[in-house]
Amino acid sequence: MPDATYDAVIIGAGHNGMALATYLAKSGWEVAVFESRGEEGGGLVTEEVTRPGFLHNLHANYHTLVGVCPVYDDLNLYDHGLRYVRPPVQMGAVYSDGTALTIHTDLDKTCASIARFSQKDADTFRRLFEEAKGYLDLLIRTLMYSPPIPLRDITKALVVWKVQDKSEFLSVHLRQMSVNDFLNQHFENERVKAMLAFHTSLGGYSTDRKGLAISFPLLLGKIDNWHVSVGGSHNLAHALWEAVAHSGGHVFLKHGVEEIIIDKGRAAGVRLNDGSVVAARHLVASSIDLEQTFLKLAKDGLSPEFIEKVESYPHMDWSFFTVHLALSQAPQYRAAEFDPDINQAWVLNAGYESLEDLNDHWRQIRRGRLPDPRLNCAVNSLHDPLDAPDGCYTGLIRHFAPYNLATGGPEAWDEFRDGFAQRCIDKWAQYAPNLPGAILDWTAHTPLDIPRRIVNMVQGDWMSGLIALDNLLTERPFPELSQYRTPFKGLYMCGATQHPHGFITFAPAYNALQVIAEDYHLERWWR
Amino acid sequence: MPDASFDAVIVGAGHNGLCLAAYLARAGLSVGVFERRHDEGGGAHTESDVTVPGFYHNLHAQYMEFIDYMPLYHDFELEKHGARMIKPEAQLGITFADGRPPIVIYTPEHMDKTYQSIARYSQHDAEVWKEIKGKVTQYDKLLAAFIYSPPPDPARGDDVAGGTQRALDAWSLMGLPATFMYKCPKVIIDELFETPELRALLYRQCVEWGSNLHAGTGWGFVISVVWLAGIHYLSVGGTHTLAHAMANACLKEGVTLRSTSPVVQINLKNGHATGVSLKDGTQIEARKLVASNADPRTTFVELIGEERLSPLRLERLAGWRFGPEHVLATPSFALHRPPDYKSAKHDPAINKCFYTVVGFETDHQVSDYILEAYGGAVPKRPGAGTWVNSLWDPTQAPPGKHSMNGWFFFPNASCLSEAEWDEVRATYNDRFLELWGQYAPNMTRENVIAHKLYVPFDIEKKIGMPEGDFSHGRPGHIEMGRSRLYWYRTEIEGLYLCDAAVGGGGISAAGGYNCFRVICEDYELPKIWQKPGRFY
Repeated sequence: MPDATYDAVIIGAGHNGMALATYLAKSGWEVAVFESRGEEGGGLVTEEVTRPGFLHNLHANYHTLVGVCPVYDDLNLYDHGLRYVRPPVQMGAVYSDGTALTIHTDLDKTCASIARFSQKDADTFRRLFEEAKGYLDLLIRTLMYSPPIPLRDITKALVVWKVQDKSEFLSVHLRQMSVNDFLNQHFENERVKAMLAFHTSLGGYSTDRKGLAISFPLLLGKIDNWHVSVGGSHNLAHALWEAVAHSGGHVFLKHGVEEIIIDKGRAAGVRLNDGSVVAARHLVASSIDLEQTFLKLAKDGLSPEFIEKVESYPHMDWSFFTVHLALSQAPQYRAAEFDPDINQAWVLNAGYESLEDLNDHWRQIRRGRLPDPRLNCAVNSLHDPLDAPDGCYTGLIRHFAPYNLATGGPEAWDEFRDGFAQRCIDKWAQYAPNLPGAILDWTAHTPLDIPRRIVNMVQGDWMSGLIALDNLLTERPFPELSQYRTPFKGLYMCGATQHPHGFITFAPAYNALQVIAEDYHLERWWR
Repeated sequence: MPDASFDAVIVGAGHNGLCLAAYLARAGLSVGVFERRHDEGGGAHTESDVTVPGFYHNLHAQYMEFIDYMPLYHDFELEKHGARMIKPEAQLGITFADGRPPIVIYTPEHMDKTYQSIARYSQHDAEVWKEIKGKVTQYDKLLAAFIYSPPPDPARGDDVAGGTQRALDAWSLMGLPATFMYKCPKVIIDELFETPELRALLYRQCVEWGSNLHAGTGWGFVISVVWLAGIHYLSVGGTHTLAHAMANACLKEGVTLRSTSPVVQINLKNGHATGVSLKDGTQIEARKLVASNADPRTTFVELIGEERLSPLRLERLAGWRFGPEHVLATPSFALHRPPDYKSAKHDPAINKCFYTVVGFETDHQVSDYILEAYGGAVPKRPGAGTWVNSLWDPTQAPPGKHSMNGWFFFPNASCLSEAEWDEVRATYNDRFLELWGQYAPNMTRENVIAHKLYVPFDIEKKIGMPEGDFSHGRPGHIEMGRSRLYWYRTEIEGLYLCDAAVGGGGISAAGGYNCFRVICEDYELPKIWQKPGRFY
């Protein structure tokens, strides 16, 4: 492109990059977003990878902060074509004995389903959920949609406010506990525990990892807030793109950034892959990974200690294996005899019947092995008829999987792909016998395909950094970067490497915005 | 109460719909575009998950031949919206399995190279090509004016004879024999050129734009073979990047662009188009007009319904057929290394030629190939046109790797059953690869990381081109000045067509541009298309 100058240059047109661009454009800045891929949206990828007309979300599928995250309304995304459906039966689990558990938007129905396994757990769930709902807004506002505060301050506040006296579930000890510990402490039935742990895992939180219990109340408070993006997740990307453009900003696809130009310690612009130079009057913001940002784009002048921290940044120790299916019928579960609602459940757990099933899964993944298939599945067309041809269904199987296989490393995935996909399909069919006859076509993507598609998901890391207590809040990605500022003046981080983490939260961009607003004295029209 | 209201509602965000939207918005109208698919661009379609993630493949349009002329590209400064074009010097070439020298046609600025390449076979042919290319190129703006002007419409009393006369005048200006106008391209090529290798290349070039090699007119030869050969641009990042730039231009003008929003009905009231209904029940009001970027069958039969059509429209539809008879099938290959052709030992340019014809040893093979497709069969000899865009544009493949796309010409989607297409989809690329290896010995299975084939049936379903028909109706028997048999206005007040049926196939944006000119006239909008020095 011709050389150009903008007030702000944003690297990466994922949802965070485009959201920050829109806020700044609405603040009167000239803004341009540069993306190396051929589509905007980052992980909001929807493609017809099986048959024409079947819209498969290759990456982000679950949108859980709708109605909670301030960005949707601040940027009027619903006026830009965004449409969501919140399925009444949010989640389900099918079990080997033909029973099923369902999580509904209707709390009474959820509790009734849990009560079929344990009345006590149903009662506990209700108390926990209602308590979590009570402070959910506060938690989300202060813990997600604000620049992070140190964990010790949170702990101190819990003590000062005597939270333990007021809450059955919150305690200062949560930071010593895993989600498993929390579940074992409060629940009795293995299937109920496994279902709640499954839900936690979908958010990237390994249930056996010490300290992650601190996030459990927040996660649980959103268990009924899972949304389908109508027309595919990419539709959110389109809404954001229109929002950027209608605010006066620009999104350039296939314009990869090759270098962040540093002038006297300040980010002065970027050089693109075609050699052109784009100057930034005020700032450059990177929504991509640390490795590209600091090892490739802007490495000069960084201290060896800083480089070392970037190089040793911990990535997720598990990734996703995915099978996309074109179906002529929706799955009909054997367990529908036990609970007919299971056929309408959006997100399905097929294979985790106890916490030990999950623990075993984590252990095997960390050793680079593939366990017997234990699936999470979704049929979006049950709730979004636009995502498949009339009368047909788009199916998704996800499987937590290692990036680096013990036998053969990541490259071995290409060899294992189709065989493992078939095993996953067979597993689903054990619960839904009509499935084999309903499959028109399928295709599989491995953890290795994730960084092939989206370079900044290093090692298939879909959360842009391990979810662990020492990589959360002010420790994420490490203290020097935790407040969205970088060692270079005018260079900000605004993507999933930042607090809180990946997922369709918009929080890294929103929080970076607050810091930028402070540094550049922007009027906070969004409050 | 409608759910939303616009001055102009456009059905379909293909490149013509986007073109019309951008101009209408700039002329002051509020515009909403409603697209069936989850992405804009129609045939300007690139995906990165076809073979292996990270390899970009153009699944339909491969090259941009109208960039120098397309008003949209220049009026809206699409390069400021992210479009980037490369015009590879070696444009069009043919290679041979026995290692004979290739023939390479270069951009017009490099006529000397083209001359040398043809002269290797025949000095005579090189002279003829140089002369005829020169004549046609000299009057290229006249040709462009035919494409970028709405045809006279006899239903409105327009002077059709005047248009025909202009075409005849242009023909004689170019100094071409009058008899050529009524000969089919194959006969003209055979009469002009003696070299079978060159004829083979020109035959293939002829069918590219939908022109019928055996039954068309001299215009097919002039436009498809002479004018457009050598002016192909590569869209950096894939052809979809151009569509995205067009959409960016629309958004900048304030257009509302809705994806995954299929229109199921064009609403009429008292003979006026009043808006559209979407599949999810949403009602969109059109205060002034509706324009359709869909093909005529979809627009009139599916979205309006025969019972609501006028006798004139029914008559026009009765005389209309999907076509051309040969449509595209697109193979995509992810490669470790680009092809290294045997013919390169005579001229290495063939290894870095934008569009390389592979699989034909003689002119007869190309002719037979396309006749098979016309006749409703998948050609037995799997020859192809091939593009390895990563040779110029490294963003289209992972570092050091290459992504290739090709075009086979196949019969219309309905000529084969779904099961037969399944069979073709599963086997034809392998047959092509076997043949490819005879031309480029490094095209082995080991060099292929993955491949996929989109057949016309898939293109019908995916891109929404019934029959896989890339020009929304037979382009044959065109009389210049009355191009195609369809007009931008319809007999329904406030309903316009802006699709390839009226504007022609290829990424010309003529459908959208001409439709805008007609609408400007009808609604007395500012004539913002008029530019000093532009003939059209």
